[in-house]
Amino acid sequence: MTDVRAPETDPFDPAAEPDDQSRPGPASPGRGTFGAADWLKWVWRQLTSMRIALVLLFLLALGSVPGSMLPQQGTNPAGVQQYDTSHPALAPWLSRLGLFNVFGAPWFAAIYLLLFASLVGCVVPRTFRLAGSARTLPPRAPRNLARLPRSAEYATALPPAEAVEVAARVLSGHGFRLRRPVEPADPADGGHWVSAEKGYLREAGNLLFHLALLGVLVSVALGGLFGYKADRLLVQGDTFADTASALDEFYPGRFVTAADLGPFTITLNKFDASYISSGQQRGQPSAFDAQISYTEQPGGPTRAGQLEVNRPLSVDGAKVYLIGHGYAPEFRVTDARGQVVYNAATPFISGTTGNFLSEGVVKVPDAQPEQLGFTGVFVPTAVDVGGTLESVFPAADNPVVSLIAYAGNLGMNTGPSQSVYQLDTSGMQRLTANPQVLLPGQSLKLPGGRGTITFTGYVPWVSLAITHDPGQLPALICGIVALGGLLLSFMIRRRRVFVRARSGGHGTVVQVGGLARTDASGGFEAEFAILAAELRSAHEQAGAHQPAAHQPQEGE
Amino acid sequence: MPVNVALGHVSNACLIAALVIYSLSVVAFAGDFAFGRPRRAAAARAEQAQDRAAALAAVGAASSTAAAPARPEAAKAAAVPGAPPDVPAGGADSMPELAVPLPRAIAEAGRWVQTALALSLAGVLAHTAAVITRGLAVHRAPWGNMYEFVTALTCVAAIFFLFVMIRYRAWSLGVFVMGAVVVTLGLAETLIYTAAGELVPALQSYWLDIHVTAMTLATGIFFVAAVLGFVYLWVDRYAKRVAAGRAAPGNGIIRRLPSIEQLDRLTYRTIVFGFPVWTFGVIAGAIWADQAWGRYWGWDPVETWAFITWVLYAAFLHARATAGWRGRRAHYIQLLGFTSLIVNILVVQVFIAGLHSYAGVS
Repeated sequence: MTDVRAPETDPFDPAAEPDDQSRPGPASPGRGTFGAADWLKWVWRQLTSMRIALVLLFLLALGSVPGSMLPQQGTNPAGVQQYDTSHPALAPWLSRLGLFNVFGAPWFAAIYLLLFASLVGCVVPRTFRLAGSARTLPPRAPRNLARLPRSAEYATALPPAEAVEVAARVLSGHGFRLRRPVEPADPADGGHWVSAEKGYLREAGNLLFHLALLGVLVSVALGGLFGYKADRLLVQGDTFADTASALDEFYPGRFVTAADLGPFTITLNKFDASYISSGQQRGQPSAFDAQISYTEQPGGPTRAGQLEVNRPLSVDGAKVYLIGHGYAPEFRVTDARGQVVYNAATPFISGTTGNFLSEGVVKVPDAQPEQLGFTGVFVPTAVDVGGTLESVFPAADNPVVSLIAYAGNLGMNTGPSQSVYQLDTSGMQRLTANPQVLLPGQSLKLPGGRGTITFTGYVPWVSLAITHDPGQLPALICGIVALGGLLLSFMIRRRRVFVRARSGGHGTVVQVGGLARTDASGGFEAEFAILAAELRSAHEQAGAHQPAAHQPQEGE
Repeated sequence: MPVNVALGHVSNACLIAALVIYSLSVVAFAGDFAFGRPRRAAAARAEQAQDRAAALAAVGAASSTAAAPARPEAAKAAAVPGAPPDVPAGGADSMPELAVPLPRAIAEAGRWVQTALALSLAGVLAHTAAVITRGLAVHRAPWGNMYEFVTALTCVAAIFFLFVMIRYRAWSLGVFVMGAVVVTLGLAETLIYTAAGELVPALQSYWLDIHVTAMTLATGIFFVAAVLGFVYLWVDRYAKRVAAGRAAPGNGIIRRLPSIEQLDRLTYRTIVFGFPVWTFGVIAGAIWADQAWGRYWGWDPVETWAFITWVLYAAFLHARATAGWRGRRAHYIQLLGFTSLIVNILVVQVFIAGLHSYAGVS
């Protein structure tokens, strides 16, 4: 009888984990003598209980929400700065709580580390139990199989011992693990029986899934410690080498130094962006194509390559991605002496909207007698809308620049290092009251004979991301293993089938009973029905060779 | 390749047709509640099952996925459908309706259900035709913006639900799920319609076919689970009110619905089917993100919400294995999971700037 209820304490069913039931015994604090070790044990048992795991899962989900609602330091530092200026009272508090860096915040780490501790505490003992159960036999057959969720009964001409023998052969042929009585016909045990169990892979899959999740965490950590990420803006025609000084941004992992960078070089030969020119989607990009040449080693052979969105370049253990683009207007500046003191393409940065209406600055520290500076706007397809310039198309169909000129001290030698996209005008005098609009080839004469600036043309630039992540492949493998484990644990059911044979009034009565644990995908009923039918026909076949005392009769 | 505008119009026409046919099928499903004849045969068999159920409940030998309730419906609850009808060995607690072969089950279901079923199938055909012609018109997988995504996911939901409904003979659920499909599709058609068009370069990748297809499938499946979850909570609330004496037993609508345990199991299986698909979709998305943006996971808002959804559905699966969390609470969790999915589609992709801003909704 007890076997019917045996699954209640089945180690294979998380539902039956004792932790989830009201735990008996002395394991509650505050009663009697409760030492530090008891406390630790109590905390550990709480932590590894399913209930706490659930709470931690909720906290993980809840904790992620601010990470998507507030700008994050890692993905959107400009957004954080903007938030800081627009919410001066709130921002410092949010910052203190780590809400601008949720996924690197200690409290977020605490949630997932506790969750993984809970997972380890649950999964490791289960792994040992699974290993142990590989040596344990299924439980003895319950006395009354008709009380199991699935059961069938029929008569056969075979004697009970042989009937069970036949059943054991059929079940064994289906890959069931069998258990037979030690004493073949122990009358106290109700006669002849066989117990069969199958589906141990379910638990194995479940464990595999959880262990693989642990592997994903380790892989992510691996990438964080030994990988790096870098950004570089590259103007068409320029070359850069993958060295720390040549990169605009360099985010090394904890154990990465500048010396670990691959010494490859990349030249942007040509960049093309195409856009849809008509219809509802006018202005939407349709293709980007960057023609580059690169060398893996300094002085090595130069190779031609192509960078496209979704098609990174693998070079020297790192990957190079095309992640953005823009326009760099070219300017030539002559100073009061008539000398050319600036002649370069200057990357301008566009906002997210506005058809690549881009802003930038030109700093001319070498101009004499005074340094010169310009703030400018580049408009790729300019249209005058009520006195202001707007860009109506992202391609450079009608490019103009609009400049404001300054003279004085750029302040580049004093104070903190400056952004190349910002002009500090505190030490400068504005030379032009209104922004001056220039078409390609046009010049602006600066007042007081300070010189000339000419808008000579424009070239595109691209922004490249360079990453190296040694955790990538392990993470992928763990992800696939997790998925496989998940499928195993969902598709395989652990089930037990019992067969009993007794001498009845008119021969042998065979009882078949079945029980599925955690039948997530369903279908045990069908499997049991087919199995029972097969057992029956096996008995009929075997019985046909037997000198039948009577016709087999059906029972229900 | 340019968009085939004519085919785009064909797709739109098919979708409108699907919407109309679906609406009619919902009317027919509702008509079954109002005018359909009671299923006497089924009722009689249910009575037969009562004795066995009581015996089973006493032994406590219910299956693990549903705690054994001391209700007559326990017999149905513990049953697993799909037994071939000609197999002699019948389980002690097999669900009587399911032993009935499909043609007979449909014949017994009555005119209203037959009409509704025919209309649903016709609607699904039109809907599928709409999705396919849209794909042919734009020469790619037809789920590249939010309108297309909703169109496709409701198609998945309708197909998946029809399969579930026919397999489990759960005719009474049609009005709820098909109703939800009609409302969703109608809202998509009126609020976020986007004409057939090309995709931005970031989406021009075969990973669109893999990642977004998986996400569409999983969302469609979770959609069905969410509707079932609502029906579950409704039936559960009614049962509680009856138990508390605040409602009269024998509500005509509730009586026709599957039992609370059947609803629970159906929802569970639906989510068990959807969860690995979602997991696969997230992994495929990570691989694509690695190719497109240089990292496989970067807590982009949409990634974050896909993660939240995954965690919540994982919590649902764990809740069902935790004492005190089965049933009502577990269903609240899965509905929370679906809510996070909706938030991801409607709020995060539209209003929060991120790398996934492809909704195409202005």
